[in-house]
This record gives sequence, C-alpha cells and structure tokens, in this order.
Amino acid sequence: MNVNVVIVGHVDHGKSTLIGRLLYDSDSITEGRVEEIQRLAEEYKRRFEFAYFLDSFDDELKEERTIDTTGVMFKGKNLYSVTDVPGHKEFIKNMLTGASHADVAVLVVAAEEGIQEQTGRHAFLIHMLGIKRLFVVINKMDAVDYREEAFQDIKNEVAQLLASFGYHHVDFIPGSAMEGDNIYKRSKRMEWYHGHTLIEALDGVKLSKQSKPLRFAVQDTYLVDSDKVIVGRVESGTLRRGDEVVFHPSEVKGKIEKIKILEGELEKAEAGDSIGIVASCEPKRGDVCGLVENPPVPTEEFLGEAVLLDNSVRKGDVVELRCGTRRVKCEIKEIQEKINSETGEVMAKYPDYISQHEAATILFATEPLVVEKFSDIPELGRFVLVQDRNIGAGVVLEVPK
Amino acid sequence: MLELKDLENRSIYILREAYAEFKRPAVLWSTGKDSTATLWLCKKAFFGKIPFPVIHIDTTYKFKQMYAFRNNLAKEWGMNLIVARNEEAIKEGVGPKDGKFECCTSLKTQALMSCLEENRFDALILAIRRDEHGIRAKERYFSPRDEDFKWNYKDQPLEMWDQYQSTTEDKTHTRVHPILHWRELDVWEYVKQENLPVNPMYFAKDGKRYRSLGCEPCTSTIDSDAKTIEEIVEELKVTKIAERSGRAQDKEKAFTMQKLRALGYM
Repeated sequence: MNVNVVIVGHVDHGKSTLIGRLLYDSDSITEGRVEEIQRLAEEYKRRFEFAYFLDSFDDELKEERTIDTTGVMFKGKNLYSVTDVPGHKEFIKNMLTGASHADVAVLVVAAEEGIQEQTGRHAFLIHMLGIKRLFVVINKMDAVDYREEAFQDIKNEVAQLLASFGYHHVDFIPGSAMEGDNIYKRSKRMEWYHGHTLIEALDGVKLSKQSKPLRFAVQDTYLVDSDKVIVGRVESGTLRRGDEVVFHPSEVKGKIEKIKILEGELEKAEAGDSIGIVASCEPKRGDVCGLVENPPVPTEEFLGEAVLLDNSVRKGDVVELRCGTRRVKCEIKEIQEKINSETGEVMAKYPDYISQHEAATILFATEPLVVEKFSDIPELGRFVLVQDRNIGAGVVLEVPK
Repeated sequence: MLELKDLENRSIYILREAYAEFKRPAVLWSTGKDSTATLWLCKKAFFGKIPFPVIHIDTTYKFKQMYAFRNNLAKEWGMNLIVARNEEAIKEGVGPKDGKFECCTSLKTQALMSCLEENRFDALILAIRRDEHGIRAKERYFSPRDEDFKWNYKDQPLEMWDQYQSTTEDKTHTRVHPILHWRELDVWEYVKQENLPVNPMYFAKDGKRYRSLGCEPCTSTIDSDAKTIEEIVEELKVTKIAERSGRAQDKEKAFTMQKLRALGYM
C-alpha cells in the first residue's frame, strides 16, 4: 500500500532531518550520496546534516532552511511517499502544495522550544485539508536529556492545541531525529517510553475507501473513430455501462453507452479512473455527472473556509474559482469570520477584507457549478482561488439545498 | 507497491488537463525509457494518436542506436516528429570539450529554446521524475518558465488537489510533468506490463549496461548482468547506485544540475 505522509512543524524543529534519518536508517540513500553530502558540508564549513539529503537547492544549503517542498520515497511495511515542507511563514504556499495529497501528517515539535508560530498554523492547515491521521514527534529529546517530564509538559501543551482543531487521542512519540532515537530504531535512552517508534506508527496505518455516490468530472470531448468520447475522471463512486446519468451545470441527461480506454471497452470504472465515455448527450468541460437517482446539485452560492496565500481580497471582489475541472467567476459576497491561521481563533466577524496568510469563512456567489460538502465528497469539496495565479485554497462547508 | 494503474490514471489526467488548458503543447522525447513511456501514456490519453508534435533534441552526440530506435518508433507510432538542433553551434564544433555545462546549455537548452520560439509552443511535456535527482524532486506538475526561459524555483506556484496553474501571461511556456510521481522501478514495471519498446542499450552486454541514456561522450555504463526487463526490475529492487550515476553533466560540480535547470535545461 502506498501511503502519502507529510512532515509539518515550525522552522528548525527538525522536519528535513527527520526525513533524512528515515531515509538513512531504512537504507534508502543511494551509494555515494553520503560522501557527496560530506563534501558539501565541508565546502560550506558545516557539520554533516541529515537534512542535506532533502535540501537540494544551493540557497537552501547556504541559508540552512527549506524553501520548497520535496517528495521522496522509502519502503517500510507500506511504501511511503514522504513530503518535506518548509517551516517558514513566507513559504506557506509550498507547505500547502506538499500537504495537499497527504493521507497522514507528522507534526514535529522541538522539545526545547515547544509550540511556535508555525506549529499552530501547520496544525490548523492540515485540519483544514481534512487530514485525519496525525502523529506528533516531540523531537530533539537529546537537548532536554531525554527527560520524561520535559516530554510530558510539551505533550500536554500540544495536545491542548490539537484538541482545539478536533484532533483527540493523538499518538505522541519522544524522539531525536539527529541521534536516531525512536524514529526508525527504538531508543535505549528513553526506557520510560513504551509506545511506538515513528516507523511502527506509520506501518500501522491502514487506508480504507469509503463508499460514496458516483461523481464523474468532465475534462474534454474527443472525436475517436466516429464516437464523441467524453473524457474525465471518476472522482467518487462507481460508473457502470448502462447507467442513467445527469450532468450539471449543463443540465443534460443521458445513458452511458460505452466506457472506453485505449485497449477497448469496460463494464465499469471506479474512483480515480481516467476514462472516456460515450453517452447519449453532450456535456462540457467542467460538468459533473452522477446517477439520476442521486445527482449532483448545481449551486450559485456556498459557504467555504479558505486560506489566502497571496494578495488580499475584499468583500465584493470577483475572483476565479476552480473546483474539479470547472472554472467560474465568483464574488466574495460576505466574509463571515476572519480566522487566525496560527490559532484557529476568530479575529473578526464580517470584516471587509482578509490579507495574506489569513483564513476566513466566506460566502461565495458564483456562476453555476457543482460543489459538494467537503465532509461528504472531498474530491469535489475543495477549490482554489485564482487571480492571475493561484492565490488561495479552501474547502466547502455548506451548500444550500 | 505503488499501483501502476493509479500512476497511469494520474498521468493521463494530467495530460488531458494540459491538452485542454494549452493551445500549442508538444512533448519532448529523448528516446529513453521515461519519455517513451510518456508517449505511450499520451497514446492512452488520446486513444491511440498523439495529437501534438514530438520533439527530439539532437545534439549530434547521441548514440547511433538511439537514432535508429527513434526513427523506427516514430514511424510505427505515427508521430509528428520535430528534430531540433542548434545548427550554428554544431557548425562551430561545440562539444563536451568546451565544458559539460556549456555544451548542455548550447546543444540542448538553446536548441530547445529556438524550437519553442519557432513553433510558438506554450506547453512542453517532459518525462522527468522526482526520484531521479534532488532538484527534480522540487518540481511541480505544471511549472512555468519566464520570458528568459528561466525556472524561478524560489517562487513556484501553489499546486493543490490537481489544480495546476496554467496561466501563461508573461511566460514563455509551461513545463508539464505527467510522470513526476513515478519511480524508476515503476517505469520498468510499466514497460514490462505494457510490453513497450525500449532501446537495447538498457540490457547488459559483457557485464555492463546503460541505466540512463544521454550523449555518447557523457554517458557511461554500470556493472550489471540484467539482460531482460524482468532482470532489470529485480536489479532495481536491490540496487543502491543512483540512476544518473552514469551521467557526467550532473556531477561536474555541486549544483550544476540546478544551474542547468534554472536556465531551462530539462
């Protein structure tokens, strides 16, 4: 099973080092790479750091900080795609890029510093992204002499923060990525701890698929042999030949006559499948279809929670919104609550604008499109906001019926 | 195991997004395993026909087997093949003797730049993968290049939930990376599953094989006895040698790859 893991936390709490340690101890580093990094460390007059396996821009080495997200893979009981993200506030958009595909998050908190600004912000953002599985590594235990009380103090503090974002019963692991304690190998220096090492915790993760109603997002229409083939992806549920479906917002109904791939025809397609269909109707890019008995509902208004990464937006502004393959113009009709993305606290009710790095619950008035409540069908319950470039991202809280 | 079907589904989705979002896309083909697999994914995405040009950058230093492989497959798959060369530099005799960085920049990057300009391509599909090189691990699926062809790696776009940034104002073009999430092992398992043609240079002869193909003067073999695709798959499951260990331009100096890529190298 492939599990996507994102490592989050405040700057310098040891995220890159932790991944470097996982790669090193799981024997996933290629030959010569260790020597290459030793040479670099000498050239930059630094001591050897596991983080250098991840930070491959020269600026990252010079400045000793991660600028952009990195994806690496290693094998345990599962095959892990691990994403390192930067801990600086200015690189939050890179953090979100890295975290958006994660199944599991590992929050790293340095034992000698405890909760810092990005600890809270990253916890808030992974909660917003809907990442339900979370482990906390209290890192740098070597800096507090591996004391249990130090671990307990920070654990209590972090548990309280996480509870405010709805994370209860989280596993806390005392460790040292630098020294290799309880990351991949069990530490002998903290005999008071009887829980999992990080790799044991990750190996215990099982991902299950929920059954959801059919939603198919249309990307395009191609002419193949004399068939008009509607291409797209099954976002959720199962599509079967013969199904009676309806596409929105185009409002066209039809029957699935063929499900096509290059090699031939299929009887059915499952969530995640990129396919082509031939149907007795002509939908457009941006449409979403579902079964006639459980159809998607087009809307012109919905309540979302979004975080802004660039620019600022005012009440009344019109921006582009993208959800699935649909792009619409939408108006920021009402900013209901401005939220501090570090603490999750409401900073203001009905403010006129929000600025970079702030979050908000926003009522959007849009051209017709299909969105779903994020908690029901996440694949169509998340969106990005665009003003020349991607400036924000959010999830759908409520869709009026 | 990563499911090949999941990898393929995602790649096809990305290719179709690129085709829908850009007016004039093209795909780059080195004739190696990754870009050949990418062409096959294009055939899958578009039901048999690659609906845009296939560009091969010819430095004139490629192995003769690569030219033969290229010509055969281009015909068999009915490609609209564009061979891009920096004729001026070739005439002047630019080569690896001038320095690997200079040679790659002139014969590859410059040749690509002219080809894009001439054909006004706004998207370029490339078969790079995250696990090939630390610098490539930092890439986005859709990666804009500015007016000077540069990769502004310090300010990359927000890219979440398959919402790729496709605006191209003030940009020369966007790089599209449909197999960014594949590993070398996945590519070979896919080659096996789909029975794809590969250059015979990948198979061991007298205890040596090429693991990554480039220009003849700058590409060397690895020790290997893998004579079949199955044996390559088995070898990759245990090897600790880096895939691009036989590619000289990556290693000339620290960060050469970053500098090459910042200027528009693949």
